[in-house]
Amino acid sequence: MEGLIDLIPHSFNLYEEGDISVININGVKDYLKEKTAITVTVFGNIYEGLSEKQIETIAQKIARLRIKNPMKRALSNMIYDTEVNYERERIKDPTWKTFGILYEGLLYQQVLNEFILEGRLNEQYCTVLLTNQLIGTWDQDSLRYHIRTSIYGFPHIISIPGLVMGPAKPREFYLKRQMGVPMELLEEEYKGKVLEHRDWRMTEVLKGYMMQALFYHLTGNPFCEDRDCRLFNSHWQEDMIHAQLGGNYEFCPRHEGILNRVRNRVSIR
Amino acid sequence: MVERKEKIFTPVSEKEVTRAIVDGFAKQFIEYVESDCLIIGGGPSGLMAGRDIALRGVKTLIVERNNYIGGGFWIGGYLMNKVTVREPGQEILEELGIPYEEATKGLYVADGPHACSKLISSACDAGVKFANMTIFDDVILKEGNRVCGAVVNWTPVQALPREITCVDPIALEAKIVVDSTGHDACVVKKLEERGLLKTSGYGAMWVEQSEDLVVQHTGEAHPGLIVTGMAVATTYGLPRMGPTFGAMLLSGRKGAQIILKKMNKS
Repeated sequence: MEGLIDLIPHSFNLYEEGDISVININGVKDYLKEKTAITVTVFGNIYEGLSEKQIETIAQKIARLRIKNPMKRALSNMIYDTEVNYERERIKDPTWKTFGILYEGLLYQQVLNEFILEGRLNEQYCTVLLTNQLIGTWDQDSLRYHIRTSIYGFPHIISIPGLVMGPAKPREFYLKRQMGVPMELLEEEYKGKVLEHRDWRMTEVLKGYMMQALFYHLTGNPFCEDRDCRLFNSHWQEDMIHAQLGGNYEFCPRHEGILNRVRNRVSIR
Repeated sequence: MVERKEKIFTPVSEKEVTRAIVDGFAKQFIEYVESDCLIIGGGPSGLMAGRDIALRGVKTLIVERNNYIGGGFWIGGYLMNKVTVREPGQEILEELGIPYEEATKGLYVADGPHACSKLISSACDAGVKFANMTIFDDVILKEGNRVCGAVVNWTPVQALPREITCVDPIALEAKIVVDSTGHDACVVKKLEERGLLKTSGYGAMWVEQSEDLVVQHTGEAHPGLIVTGMAVATTYGLPRMGPTFGAMLLSGRKGAQIILKKMNKS
């Protein structure tokens, strides 16, 4: 266990961005408590209580983080008032449903860290934002941006639509799409094999990603190489559904052992 | 059966027909060389915006490069003439008196020719005037680079080689210009050429999200220039919309609301 950070947080601090009503937040809360014996505090809307001036600053900052061309590692240096207006409206409405803009995830995290959660982040809290927006990061191998399910750090960000759009669907799905098979038929064909936006399994899948956030907090590594463990870093929908819902066990023996120690507040070093 | 002894139509000479056409066109054209609002593109969003502002007394001219008005609203997709709208787009169909049916929950289908002709008719009834077969060539920029009109030409002129035709365009002035030229976003692109704007091009098709995003991003992209319809997607790099038209109608309506507010007529 050498190199482990070993900071069992006092609390999970959960924040929400936009409409995430597809998630049973109490279900997630109960699960985390049961698995970790760590207090869970649900703060709700992350933008709650911000002044008009703060909202304006944040809207300006976030409007700059749009990835308009996923093939280019560059953000636009020209920001329209309309884009800032969109962000302002979104920030002010906690029931905001629209997504579809892809934001630069690492910079998004930085804005959250510096301008929204400033003073509320420290190592005693495992702070997680559950967002209904899409976040992406640049991939140096494929030289393009990819939608991400989660970005871990301060704070952790988990994208709810990212659970659907981050891990790839089977290759045949995309081939058939390119061949012009209507989306409705594909949805029918792949029903159950991939996660959908209003999928009842969403809460269950999210629980595993919450645990990845905790393990990042504890060890600096949120992932496990075991495909049966909920900490498996799934690049495919099939893997994600297997790891979160169909694995031989919930956590591999090593990570189950760490969780036991967390529950019993025993140092994991 | 009674045999008609007289001719059906009043006798009129050819020259009188010609004079009537020229006079009618010239009178309207002279009047609309300066308008309150100049809409570039006569598709569904342009027509909807034009109709709504004209109903409130805004002097409106729509410039359309084709002979026919209506853009893609005649055809639903893949040359099939049924158009679809998602809720709440059907409220506009109802308002315009366009018959429709519910295809699935929240998705409505209407006859393309019926829907398009009703929308055109409604815009005409509201007082919108048209310059069809007229192509947008450039913008007029005045103090502070504010868009104050458009430079236009006959569409056929652009179709001919320059060696054959060298016809200078003419200018039309307006308090507000609307870019409703679809994915081409012709007016916005012209500002981009001058370094005043930067378009992002539209993304992949994503019906469910793009309709909301198009309506939410409809607005003033540059002083004096309102962008509506699919030109919005091109300007801001939003996902492509696919063969649904609710957002075109609602984007046009939102554009109209912004124009009316700017003109203190809301």
